[in-house]
Amino acid sequence: MTLLAVENVTKRYRLPRRALLKPPAVLTAVDAASFTLERGQTLGIVGESGSGKSTLARMVMAFEKPDAGRVLFEGNDLAALSPNTLRSLRPHFQLVFQDPYGSLNPRRTVGWSIAEPLRATGQAERHRVSEALDQVGLRPADAEKYPHEFSGGQRQRVAIARAIVTRPSLLVADEAVSALDMSVQAQILNLLMDLQDELGLAILFISHDLSVVGSICDSIIVMKHGKIVEYGAAEQIMRAPEKGYTRSLMTAAGLI
Amino acid sequence: MIKASKLSVSLGAGQAVRDVSLLVRPGDRIGVVGESGCGKTMLGLAMIGMTPAAAKVSGSLRLDNAEMVGADEKSWQVQRARRVAMVFQEPMAALNPIKRVGDTVMEPLIIHMGLSRAQARECALSLFEEVGIPDPEARFRQFPHEISGGQRQRVLIALALTCDPGLLIADEPTTALDANVALRITELLARLARDRTMALLFISHDLAAVARSTEDMLVMYGGDIVERGKTAAVLSDPRHPYTQGLLSARPRPENVRETDGRRKRLPTIPGAVPPLADLPAGCRFAGRCPVEMSQCATVRPAEREGTICHQLEAAT
Repeated sequence: MTLLAVENVTKRYRLPRRALLKPPAVLTAVDAASFTLERGQTLGIVGESGSGKSTLARMVMAFEKPDAGRVLFEGNDLAALSPNTLRSLRPHFQLVFQDPYGSLNPRRTVGWSIAEPLRATGQAERHRVSEALDQVGLRPADAEKYPHEFSGGQRQRVAIARAIVTRPSLLVADEAVSALDMSVQAQILNLLMDLQDELGLAILFISHDLSVVGSICDSIIVMKHGKIVEYGAAEQIMRAPEKGYTRSLMTAAGLI
Repeated sequence: MIKASKLSVSLGAGQAVRDVSLLVRPGDRIGVVGESGCGKTMLGLAMIGMTPAAAKVSGSLRLDNAEMVGADEKSWQVQRARRVAMVFQEPMAALNPIKRVGDTVMEPLIIHMGLSRAQARECALSLFEEVGIPDPEARFRQFPHEISGGQRQRVLIALALTCDPGLLIADEPTTALDANVALRITELLARLARDRTMALLFISHDLAAVARSTEDMLVMYGGDIVERGKTAAVLSDPRHPYTQGLLSARPRPENVRETDGRRKRLPTIPGAVPPLADLPAGCRFAGRCPVEMSQCATVRPAEREGTICHQLEAAT
């Protein structure tokens, strides 16, 4: 079965009212987007800020319900599930944020933060935390440290450890390497590729940087103003982008 | 003309910038490249007299004929804006949120240049035009939160240009922006430097932006300038092992698979930048360098043709 299928998904937000008696304007953040992601594959979503890529990620993570269309994870329509069923499914799809400093509790050890998704689903923790730390190239003893004791790259490893501790089949990485230095970024990208080979993870990789997406993804979606403007095999798109917009992103990334 | 000789910035136990020498002539466009903590921002701040209070600046920095190391805030205020101006990374944080952007840009024109309000307005409007802000009259009355990130950065550039500086320091001016907007800001900075024969120090971790906007570049690591040269030459034929490592770590979306179909891993620089106080006394890159020799950690390499590296020293 297809791991993740997004079918004609649309999300609209109401903008702040400009005039008292007129209806507020509506922003279509994601406009009838459809794609699929198979197990063990990497799908990149590229676009500028406001293109709808993060909104799409939030719907895949079931943080928001689409206004139209369906998000199917292992065949389950996420918006139609009961809260309990959704909670029991959550360990299978996990998120890595851009800024680990903002997503890790500064007053708790990173071991506590990594165990958070396990506690949320009532699973036993200790050895799973050590295992996850080991998988991301940190030491099990690092569980006792606090976020500020790590460098930016190490913190992102912690965030990845937290995301894989539940042994998910899908990892959503929202600008997960954008805040990192070039040499650190390369280390984290390699880590994601290693984890994918080891654990058979599917990765939904969201980024504004086409050079990063082009080097680690199997297929690519290019989004603009909420619409998918180009969708296809990564090597095909990188070699011969069909749309002028994709080409402009390539120019901006220094690829042309 | 601006000349730094053996300029150093010490922070506590470590040196954020170590013995940097740099000559900036009118119209020079110089890129400063390096990763977090390499000292590129601190170098920029030292050149405009805005290092944090805890930092100790030593060596020499001459703005035309004035020696600025050890100069008090009063003398810096005279030089700043007129000789050196700076554009920062986060335009929202650099603009006063409760002031209309037009008033922000008029302020230095009135205070530093002694213009009347009407003259300052004329001048600020023409600056808005020069930096490519569409419909300047309308923008003039808006607050920072009402305009886009790219427009905000243009306002900051206009602000930096108010006193016609000889050197514009741009510290990661495009990092907070979308790729296409960043590209246009980069091109704007390069054009302004050419049109005004103004020197530009473009500090960035973005190699593509530096390639596009500068003629010369410096690569910094651990407070040292480890390599310098023509931008095109450094990028196409890097000589220092750190520059080589940095350039090869760039993701390149071509030949992404091994012959067995596995995805290729990116080349990486092993380890991480040590904390300032733990940097090796010799070559700062010692401990991470793939071609390290026995003396590297303790003996400082001398400069040879723009790079400092024992290997290259031995080869010449």
